[in-house]
Amino acid sequence: MSRIRQYAFHFPVVSAFALLLSARSPGASVQRGQELFDLHCASCHVDPPTYLKKQPPKLEGLFKAKYLPSGAPANDKQVRKTIIEGLRTMPAFDQRLNDRDINDVVAYLRTLR
Amino acid sequence: MNLRQLIPVVFLGILLSGCQSKTKHYDLRGQVLDKDPATNQITVKHGDIPGFMPAMTMSYLVKDQNGFQQVQPGDVITADVIIAGNRNEYWLENLHITDESGRTTTKAGTVRRLDIGDHVPDLTLVNQDGKFFRLGDFKGKAVLVTFVYTRCPVPTFCPRLSSRFAKIQEDFAKTPADFARTHLVTISFDPKYDTPPVLRKYGLAYLDNDPAGFSHWDFASTNPDDLRKIAYAFGLEYFEEDNQISHSMVIVLISPEGTVAKYWSTEWTTAELENALRQEANAGIVPQQPPMRRKTG
Repeated sequence: MSRIRQYAFHFPVVSAFALLLSARSPGASVQRGQELFDLHCASCHVDPPTYLKKQPPKLEGLFKAKYLPSGAPANDKQVRKTIIEGLRTMPAFDQRLNDRDINDVVAYLRTLR
Repeated sequence: MNLRQLIPVVFLGILLSGCQSKTKHYDLRGQVLDKDPATNQITVKHGDIPGFMPAMTMSYLVKDQNGFQQVQPGDVITADVIIAGNRNEYWLENLHITDESGRTTTKAGTVRRLDIGDHVPDLTLVNQDGKFFRLGDFKGKAVLVTFVYTRCPVPTFCPRLSSRFAKIQEDFAKTPADFARTHLVTISFDPKYDTPPVLRKYGLAYLDNDPAGFSHWDFASTNPDDLRKIAYAFGLEYFEEDNQISHSMVIVLISPEGTVAKYWSTEWTTAELENALRQEANAGIVPQQPPMRRKTG
């Protein structure tokens, strides 16, 4: 097998591994994520006002379950989508939180047991 | 004190501590932009308040009367934000002025708005289905109008307004006569993001996914120029900063004749809005008399 063929063979494996790593957002700061969570999310997800049309779910153990409260698979992609686009009565955080902010918030959410 | 005397004291102590836990205190630091003696509210541009809201400009009721009298637009203040257990009520206490030097540099006075009895501007709005309409189209009905933007993350503001309007929608649906004589309109002041499809999705979330509800509750917006005119007419303040929209809270009741009947800002209950809406809708209606019985014999 030529060297080029060898590289070509390994390329998809290496790419998949790199994608997996990026999904876990290396370098995300849990501490910063917690600060952002306290600022933007806690007022609804920690102590929700009783008068809201839909009670926002508590987020402890969010990633321990197989599915999110919405029924979608519990993975980074779905959680990021919900934060960016909002869901039902949850507002979209598009343009309010940037990519790095969302990575940090997701990293913090992963620590909630 | 013997044990029998002690028990009620301990019980009272537990009860009181339970009551105390129903209010929360947060530290606020910011600059006063406006002061409204009619409602005892000040508009404050403040920094982040973790657990309550990110940095923004909003109106607060001041219960500290002495502090309210002393504070002036332009002052930098610190205060405690007190939030009642269900977040329905919040106000400022322990207001302290830390810097008075900005007093002359910011605007003073209250926002101009239409007086009670004035005719509302008949501007064109576009609703969640992309359909054009005017507030004047609802003549003959009492209309409750409020202003939101769908990305608002502060539960005490837009989510509270839409949740309580949803409750009014549900309650009025139980009395068809009142339902037929009233209408709800939620106007977004973020037309760039809140396009008709976004407003439709937002509206459906508050209508239990039933599009039939739009026949009694429109979610609308309009072009930025007309939006400014409507906001000015009803005393709504909003401006964009750092990808957020700071705004005040306004609910306005429009009479069946198309005039302003009543305003609310942050202090209101759902029951109060429902009563006023029902009363306005039925104001000119003469209750039907039971049919006269013909005398016999």
